[in-house]
Amino acid sequence: MRLYIFHRTTYSYPSAVTQSYNELRLHPLSNDWQKCISTTLSILPICRPQSYLDLNGNIVHFFELPEAHHRLLIEARSIVETISQVDFQNFPYGVNLSKLSKMEGIPECRDYLQTSTYVEINPEVWRMAVDIQDSSKDVFQTAYQVMEFIYQNFEYCKSTTTVDTHANEVLKIRRGVCQDFAHAALALCRCIGIPARYVSGYFYDSSRDQRMRGAEASHAWIEVMVGGHGWFGLDPTNNRVVDDTYVILGTGRDYRDVAPVTGSYYGPSPDGFEVTVRVKSTDD
Amino acid sequence: MSLPSQFQNYTTGHFFDEMFSGDQQLSARAHYQQIFQRFDRLTASEISDRRQQADSSFLEHGITFTVYGDEGGTERIFPFDLIPRVIPESEWSMVENGLRQRIIAINLFLNDIYHGRKIIKDGIIPEEIVNSSKNYRPEMIGFDPPQGVYAHICGTDLIRDDKGNYLVLEDNARCPSGASYLLENREIMKRAFPQTFGGMAVRPVEAYPDTLLKTLEYLSPRKSQKPVCVLLTPGVYNSAYFEHTFLARQMGIEIVEGKDLIAIDSCIYMRTTRGLVQVDVIYRRLDDDFLDPLMFRKESMLGVSGLMDAYLKGNVALANAVGTGVADDKVTYAYVPEMIKYYLNQDPILANVPTYLCWRDSDRAHVLQNLENLVVKAANESGGYGMLIGNQSTKEEREEFARLIEAHPREYIAQPIVSLSRHPTFCEEGIAGRHVDLRPFILYGEDVEIIPGGLTRVALKKGSLVVNSSQGGGSKDTWVLKDF
Repeated sequence: MRLYIFHRTTYSYPSAVTQSYNELRLHPLSNDWQKCISTTLSILPICRPQSYLDLNGNIVHFFELPEAHHRLLIEARSIVETISQVDFQNFPYGVNLSKLSKMEGIPECRDYLQTSTYVEINPEVWRMAVDIQDSSKDVFQTAYQVMEFIYQNFEYCKSTTTVDTHANEVLKIRRGVCQDFAHAALALCRCIGIPARYVSGYFYDSSRDQRMRGAEASHAWIEVMVGGHGWFGLDPTNNRVVDDTYVILGTGRDYRDVAPVTGSYYGPSPDGFEVTVRVKSTDD
Repeated sequence: MSLPSQFQNYTTGHFFDEMFSGDQQLSARAHYQQIFQRFDRLTASEISDRRQQADSSFLEHGITFTVYGDEGGTERIFPFDLIPRVIPESEWSMVENGLRQRIIAINLFLNDIYHGRKIIKDGIIPEEIVNSSKNYRPEMIGFDPPQGVYAHICGTDLIRDDKGNYLVLEDNARCPSGASYLLENREIMKRAFPQTFGGMAVRPVEAYPDTLLKTLEYLSPRKSQKPVCVLLTPGVYNSAYFEHTFLARQMGIEIVEGKDLIAIDSCIYMRTTRGLVQVDVIYRRLDDDFLDPLMFRKESMLGVSGLMDAYLKGNVALANAVGTGVADDKVTYAYVPEMIKYYLNQDPILANVPTYLCWRDSDRAHVLQNLENLVVKAANESGGYGMLIGNQSTKEEREEFARLIEAHPREYIAQPIVSLSRHPTFCEEGIAGRHVDLRPFILYGEDVEIIPGGLTRVALKKGSLVVNSSQGGGSKDTWVLKDF
């Protein structure tokens, strides 16, 4: 599927700000499931963005704006060709949970089993996870149950949480948006030893009545490592196994590693903040 | 009995042919198969029927343009060729990406030029180039146009060289014409070849007026109510007047002349039979020079006194913004690839035609010595006026241009003569190859939208490289085909 993504972020400040330094993770990855055909970033005020690859393999653009300005506008336009990540007839069942004890030794997985900024491994979460696991002995099956549990028991609600809400809080109030659902899922998976990482990206709502959640914004979901089969995407917000309607911007331990726009500056807090995301299929 | 093939005498010459590959043995490219078979089978009477059908629709619809400097001062039908130009989707998506990248860079450049001028401070573009551009407007310094965009409507001219590579010939970032022909050509093709058209997955172009209106409405300074947009035309004598009426009608907005508008308290009002109505957005098809006699040309009868004051106070939006011409100056054009690298940190997807800048001493020396092999163009003219095609010029013409270049080096650029790609076209001698270019239309409102394909212009005179309608060019419908 060929998807076009338009992502605009605007900040406006009540008075001039200076020395603004920002990092953007708005460049979709190219991997086995998707190919980023082009990404064009435009930023106002005028600056010269540069880029590097971070430790998680994400493409990061950075720029500085030393002069005084009242408004910051960041636009990213990307074209991505996606292929389905999973064969829906053939889920990767058959990997026993008992194999997970070895995972901690694999460098690719180690980080995704630990406590991180927004996700904590603790006995309370572990208890909840064991209840969800029930009698399952299978890695994929268990992760799927975690996704289902969140989808069925958590309320999708835009105003109760902030970007800084911790997974513990989300598990307690059982409410939030995609970012919170992903953090909660990460905590539950990691507590029972399933390596799980945070994915930031977009998805294209191909449903006829546009009933999916998170299509008109940045989206977030998780990926779990199923030994011998690689990473699999699960979207607790929509209770879906990730397919070719999803576009990955980056992966990390949690939101902190992959926030689309982060930065610092001298000046007052913004009095206006607006994000617009459009995902269009160019196939039809 | 087999019918004679329409293509039996066709040759591709030494040019890149859009429809056929191979020099000796003609073979239609995969995406042209259906078109080839359809036209190959046409009989003489079918051709003349369809020809007449097309001509009479053009006449009925009044699709005309005016030629300036012609004794007759005539309005003409824009010649239309029945064989459509086909672009496979895979090729088009590359072009589309390249155009998007280019328009974004050009808009960032305009913003930079009228604000901090970083690109000049960093030594990428010389300051005198910008300041000496005829279309540079110092009045715009420090002004933020609505939504930060300058060139909302852009018609970039693309050509293909002898290898078939797409090259950008120029960026028309002021008031590009031609979208109405693109829409009408499609209407006519659908009627003339309904089955062929229906049998192929051609990407639609009909959304253009709608998208254009959305682009305009997006600029409205009054968010609380439905924006009032108008199209400002110089009047019935303008070469593109047909297009102005056509687009206004398609969008359902008023077409106005300068005398229909009035500035009161730094706002612009339109005189209507029910009194004054405040205008939010003006799609102006008038050059900067004529917009406001108080600020620009004093003798302009076409503009509105006080328009610039209202604009600079943010009470009315103009599309395109004032001062975009500095980006479609042909000297600035040469720097667009550098702009893309500078602002976007990317390599250009679409290349420029190599360009010699006559103000550079070394370039000028080369140009003057090689006039015969170059095309010389005036930096600020458009429509095919003020240019010299070296190999088709007389000695006197070349001497005249050499003098002009010596006298005004900043005003001239030169490019190698690119052997434009050719396309089978109905001519007096049957179907023959004629040179073509492509003008896609790019709209930049909330996001960048590019109409699939564009206007293919064709030089109807044998061997001619000039496709401009004012210089004897015609046009073709352009089909972007999915699944190829």
